[in-house]
Amino acid sequence: MTHPAIEVTDLTKRFGDVTAVDGLDLTVEAGEVFGFLGPNGAGKSTTINVLLDFARPTAGTASMLGLEVHADREELHRRIGVVPENYGLYDRLSGRRHLELAIELKNATDDPSVLLERVGLSTEAAQRPAGEYSTGMAQRLALAVALVGSPDLLILDEPTSGLDPNGARELREIILTENDRGATVFFSSHILEQVEAVADRVGILQDGQLVALDTIERLRRQLDSGARVTLEVPRAPDHEPTGLPNVRDVEIGDGVVEGTCLEPTAKLEFIDRVRETTTVTDVRIEASSLEELFASYTGADSSADSDTATPKEVGA
Amino acid sequence: MSVTSIVRKDLADAGRSKMLWAVVILVVLPTAGATGLLAVSTDEAAPKVFTLAFQLGIATLPIVALLLAKGAITGERDSGSLRLLLGLPPARRDVLLGKLVGRTVLMLIATLMGGLVTALVVVALLGSGVTLVMPFVGLLGLMGLAFVGLGIGISAASASDTRATVVAVGAYMLLVALWNLLYSGIQRAAAAVGLADGAAQPGWLDLVGIVPPNRAAAVAFDAIVSGRTFVVDPIGSLWLPVVIMIAWLIIPAAVGYRQFRAADLG
Repeated sequence: MTHPAIEVTDLTKRFGDVTAVDGLDLTVEAGEVFGFLGPNGAGKSTTINVLLDFARPTAGTASMLGLEVHADREELHRRIGVVPENYGLYDRLSGRRHLELAIELKNATDDPSVLLERVGLSTEAAQRPAGEYSTGMAQRLALAVALVGSPDLLILDEPTSGLDPNGARELREIILTENDRGATVFFSSHILEQVEAVADRVGILQDGQLVALDTIERLRRQLDSGARVTLEVPRAPDHEPTGLPNVRDVEIGDGVVEGTCLEPTAKLEFIDRVRETTTVTDVRIEASSLEELFASYTGADSSADSDTATPKEVGA
Repeated sequence: MSVTSIVRKDLADAGRSKMLWAVVILVVLPTAGATGLLAVSTDEAAPKVFTLAFQLGIATLPIVALLLAKGAITGERDSGSLRLLLGLPPARRDVLLGKLVGRTVLMLIATLMGGLVTALVVVALLGSGVTLVMPFVGLLGLMGLAFVGLGIGISAASASDTRATVVAVGAYMLLVALWNLLYSGIQRAAAAVGLADGAAQPGWLDLVGIVPPNRAAAVAFDAIVSGRTFVVDPIGSLWLPVVIMIAWLIIPAAVGYRQFRAADLG
């Protein structure tokens, strides 16, 4: 039998009076891509710190790949790949030397050149001391370090921070490739579109507790906002379509009729009903965004990227 | 296995630090220079010159060793590279051991270079004292290691590099710069509470006097210079100070490890 990739039971972590994680139960199955979502400060990093044995839990247990995160850490860390949050590089060592160190420490046989190519770091960049790297380059190197030894489980804490859109897309491709190889991928983010694009399942953490845990599809279905259907019409219908209990917020605008359909079948009924009174020339359907979903769980405003929502402090 | 890799990594990384070598040169050159000056400007015999040079060494090398070691773990904790390293298989124990060995090697290199240069200056200028070169370099080296052990212990127990620096400088002040003052305070306090009378100092107070590694090294070097290598009284012997220095290399690191093992590296 295969062990779950991650199994957290009744995990609590307190710092003085502050409870960062509060009785968390979480199981991530082997082979899935799991997105660990939540606003900054929700307890994601604390949870990951416990998983990586950077911090000991106040109560509860955590295991990965069937190995206890503290007692079996050495064996466990040979089988996982990690991009921790707030990691640093060795400024005076080259990128390649970082990889060689990781290969050595994991008893792996990887070719550093192959890993560098996968994460998009040039051979020339890999010769330079890591102290000269941009944030994006550092993030690529850290990802290459995580890929050493073809880990069974990848744990990526905010892996997209510092990556440009191109880098973020490449990261998604690497995540999917690793998952195809059989690796479980567990990654945290406060940026929803990163999760939406690759995750099989998501867990949403809020104030140290899991407030949602499901596939993105099913989570979306739980929302009442449903899908927004826009019908292009050459002339406005005589009256609003009626008798559609699963269509809300119908609006008749300039050459369009819009409605929010709560169920898949409601879309067809909506289109049929509008066609009874006018001609429909085009149909656009927009699924409700995860941003709205996320906001509905966390009570945050819909731009849940708090990095951009809060002005950053500017150094004097 | 992990330890060896970390040692090599640390030697490559810390060994490339310009700051480190600047500190070494700043300390070694004046020591060798002052000794050379001493050797040409006085007509003292080699043992006397060596003793003076040794006193210079035990005043300056401790701060080099402490500064060299105090950031071994806190530096990586501050920069976050510790999180990268501990995400890999090495345990905290391996990191601490690797750092202890790595910084020990760096300190030995610095001390051997400085000690040998100084000793050779003396021998070359005076044409004698060859037999003292080995004890001179060896005991300075061992004392340096004792302070490296202390520095690593401080680094392991500290949450930030700033704090480690403060504690390391504090340790230097207590054990080296202000030791005479502190020791006479202890002597007076012992007399005041009736633990020591005016006439002969009790043995335990003598022992306290050689607890700092630099004092232990001075006593050991003196034992060799004056030919007291094998004596019954442990205080004037060679072996007790050597044991004390080895204890400094191990005990603070072990105590620091207990802190480091339990620390949240958030």
